[in-house]
Amino acid sequence: MLTPHTLTEYVRKVLADAQVTVTDRTGTMDHLNVRVVSDVFKGKTLLDRHRLVYQALDEPLKDGRLHALELTAETTDGS
Amino acid sequence: MDDVIAQEIQRELEQHTILIYGKGTRTAPQCGFTVETMEFFDQLGYPYEVINVLEQPAKREALTKMTNWPTLPKVFINTQFYGDTDVLGPMRTKGELQPLLEQAFQTKA
Repeated sequence: MLTPHTLTEYVRKVLADAQVTVTDRTGTMDHLNVRVVSDVFKGKTLLDRHRLVYQALDEPLKDGRLHALELTAETTDGS
Repeated sequence: MDDVIAQEIQRELEQHTILIYGKGTRTAPQCGFTVETMEFFDQLGYPYEVINVLEQPAKREALTKMTNWPTLPKVFINTQFYGDTDVLGPMRTKGELQPLLEQAFQTKA
């Protein structure tokens, strides 16, 4: 099962400065609401921001630990 | 990517102004996010098509490669890829989505 800590480590492999908040939507830790705050997102479209996070979570998405993800991707100044 | 599949996808994209590749069909969706995406466009009052790729693994893989986006549903507007409601929601809040949809349906009319 995927813990918020492990998930944050995965994200930080691609977004080293990321602040990650995880909310478990169904209690089984595989339908998650994930909020990522990182200044690496600056100047990037929403699509590319989400692609970066999906890239970081490629492994748990592929091995089934992660099924459904609701993503928010913002910079530190909330843009 | 297999040409037959690529051409099939291209045809589908050109046929439908809003196209949702998802899990299940419009009448029998099999995933919460596919339902959420349908409801998103229902609220906006725009017609859309849902194409089930659960039973078409080759097309599902082709779409993933084509968009560099690993999950379903995948939303296309006027043949352009827009991710899913995680992207479309903030676009709507920022007022970017409404003009895009109006323009997309005008070019079709």
